[in-house]
Amino acid sequence: MFPTSFAFARKHLAALLLAAAVGLPLLWSLAAAALAGLDATAWTALASQPQTAPALWLSLYTGLAATALALAGTALLLAHSFGTPRWTRLLGRLPAMLALPHAAFAIGLLLLIAPSGWLVRTGVALVAPFDAWLGLGLALDAPPAWQSTQDPWGLGLIAVLALKEIPFLLWTAAAQLQRPDVARRLTLELRLAQTLGYSPRSAWWRVAWPQLLARLQAPLLAVLVYSLTVVDVALIAGPSTPPTLAVLAWQWLQDADPARNAMGAAAAWLLAAVVTTLALAGLLAQRYGRGWAAARWARGVALIDEVKVRQAQADPVAAAMTCTDTARSRSAPTQAAAYGLGGGRAGGGTGALTLAYSAVAAALALGSVIGVWPFPDLWPQAWTWQAWHAVADSAPVVWTTLGLALTSSAAALLWAVAWLECAPLAWQRRLQGLLYLPLLLPSVLWALGLHRLALAWGIDGNITGLWLAHILCVLPYVLLSLQGPYGGFDARLQAVAASLGRTRWAFVWRIKWPMLRAALAASFAVGFAVSVAQYLPTLYVGAGRFGTATTEAVALAAGGQRSLMAAFAALQWLLPALVFGLAAWAGRARRFPAPARVAPPAASASKKLSHTLQ
Amino acid sequence: MPSPSTPTLLQIRLRCLRTPAGVLLHDLAIDVPGGAVHTVMGASGAGKSSLLAAVCGTLDEGMAFDGTVHLNGQRTDTLPTHQRRVGLLLQDDLLFAHLSVLENLLFAVPAGPQAGRRAQALAALAEVELPDYANANPATLSGGQRARVALARALLARPQALMLDEPFAKLDAPLRQRMRELLFGAVAARGIAAVLVTHDAADVADTQRLTHLS
Repeated sequence: MFPTSFAFARKHLAALLLAAAVGLPLLWSLAAAALAGLDATAWTALASQPQTAPALWLSLYTGLAATALALAGTALLLAHSFGTPRWTRLLGRLPAMLALPHAAFAIGLLLLIAPSGWLVRTGVALVAPFDAWLGLGLALDAPPAWQSTQDPWGLGLIAVLALKEIPFLLWTAAAQLQRPDVARRLTLELRLAQTLGYSPRSAWWRVAWPQLLARLQAPLLAVLVYSLTVVDVALIAGPSTPPTLAVLAWQWLQDADPARNAMGAAAAWLLAAVVTTLALAGLLAQRYGRGWAAARWARGVALIDEVKVRQAQADPVAAAMTCTDTARSRSAPTQAAAYGLGGGRAGGGTGALTLAYSAVAAALALGSVIGVWPFPDLWPQAWTWQAWHAVADSAPVVWTTLGLALTSSAAALLWAVAWLECAPLAWQRRLQGLLYLPLLLPSVLWALGLHRLALAWGIDGNITGLWLAHILCVLPYVLLSLQGPYGGFDARLQAVAASLGRTRWAFVWRIKWPMLRAALAASFAVGFAVSVAQYLPTLYVGAGRFGTATTEAVALAAGGQRSLMAAFAALQWLLPALVFGLAAWAGRARRFPAPARVAPPAASASKKLSHTLQ
Repeated sequence: MPSPSTPTLLQIRLRCLRTPAGVLLHDLAIDVPGGAVHTVMGASGAGKSSLLAAVCGTLDEGMAFDGTVHLNGQRTDTLPTHQRRVGLLLQDDLLFAHLSVLENLLFAVPAGPQAGRRAQALAALAEVELPDYANANPATLSGGQRARVALARALLARPQALMLDEPFAKLDAPLRQRMRELLFGAVAARGIAAVLVTHDAADVADTQRLTHLS
């Protein structure tokens, strides 16, 4: 007999309702998008379009290159900084980097690398005094004619995506590395590997990275999907003749001609098929590459296993001998380095990433107050708040951005917490694929599905539909960021609390949620940032009636109002940065007072109470 | 040590304890009078901790307990954990990291006037010889101090039975001895029925009350 069968049934019912509340619109959108793609004429038209093949090729190589670079950057940064103070500092900076939306980052980077941007001006200013002497003709009086923005090779797009995805991958890696169970095991294994004579970096690559990489599959797939299918960043930083396939699909979907609309839906499905093929190829490569990897790492792992076995047998002499022998025979100097993996290069990697983000942020901030700025002057002739006055005059845009972000991230957080509390683990595992679907589907296809859903439910072009669309877009990110800390929460604490006579709710209110406060606040901030950055759903489901900082910034990127574009992009960054800052403050560790003597109860009272206790 | 005629406070009758992999334990009877410590020993994986979890009502999902647990004559295995009045002390102290030592203790004190609850918690802290640590961060305490706070917390909830899952395993020899004295003394003084799981024969309080799981 189940002692708590009523509570058990109630919990399952709640989980069922929660699953239905999100599953229904998700599946509806998916089905609607699928129906839109079932048009043979559209597929024929897509195949005969001369732009399709080059656009697909561009999408493929920019997406794959950006993902590969982001992964390589993440791996190197982790190898060079994990376990050092640099890793802690980098973790502290990640929220600010994550708060910078892709579109804002792209705009900031363009302000830096454009022919008339800061980098060229700085170069000219540095070279000009020596130019007469060198005779190289580098003292330009007009911006160079090269195409450093929206270049036809997609290099700018790759750079934006790779730089923007590194903090995301670092953050997901940190979520894994901070799980008490994973952290404890990895730390022990890294130490063991070092006692076997492996340098800290070698130990990382042989022991920690293969394990971590296996846990980064889902985030990596999300990065690949995003890089292959992003629209707003490709509009700002990508080539235009032809654009990426996602941009092409988006343009066709916006067309008044239903035939081109259908072709857009087919293009979106083509992207989905490409993504699925790549994901399957990745899985196959992982399966068949495992043998190679196993052989590659076998030596180190086998030795570690040997030490583990010896320790398990409580044979300290053998363990000590293994340590001293191997330490003597191999790279002894590296032992002294302990976790200091690579010194200068480590600092260089994290420093370069920080510098890139600081430069972009500075470009946005300064770019928003630039007045007259003739080339090649390093500094403008005048600074002006005009762009910010224009932003202030667009109060509805600011309020829509804020309102949507606050309410959708709050709703998503409430749902995620309720789901993680109520849903049995088996349900959570089974529905994971569906809940993370928005991360794994091309955004343009997803926007199409959401639009059809809004049309069917009669909520297109109004704030309710837009809010629902934002919730569905935000939810996977909130769930993803919360799932790690929730999964890593020590379940024994609940048993202890119950054994102390406390109900489940008392435990949740007074122990669990306060202990997960930082994770809850961070998840809210992530949701807020994701909502602020939404472009396609805002435009499509909102039927163009609702402007947000992102839609304004992307629209302005195509025009010549540099300072206004920078101001909206800066706003797009400042709002999430503010919320991330608040989240960090709300989730800060408690400071306990220095140990101080607390007057115990009077002796007689103490005795009496002790007696009562007995 | 209670005399053999002392009435049973905790009665465990286990017909079967199942995991998804199969039957873990079967046909087990344990009777513990108030103030006594019944020791359960056995190899790792024999089901010692699962037995304690079954008594507490904290078995993992997928595990099933077939049997009865009576505490002071009342059947408790049908009650939710928080109503069973069965305390739990584990190998890890599991102090709540975001609460001070005093707040950890207050969490266990049953509802009542705030001043009285605070006084009870402070008295319990004095009893485990840590009167100066009320406002301390649990993370700054030594292993032995943390274990004593965990003991004080478990006792403050006024349990009728106490499940002790290797509570001395992480302590060094002198601390183990001190903790045994404190714990067994508190159990005897309060008339609690305790079940102790251990691998260490030195922990056995009463050789007459010993179950060996194979």
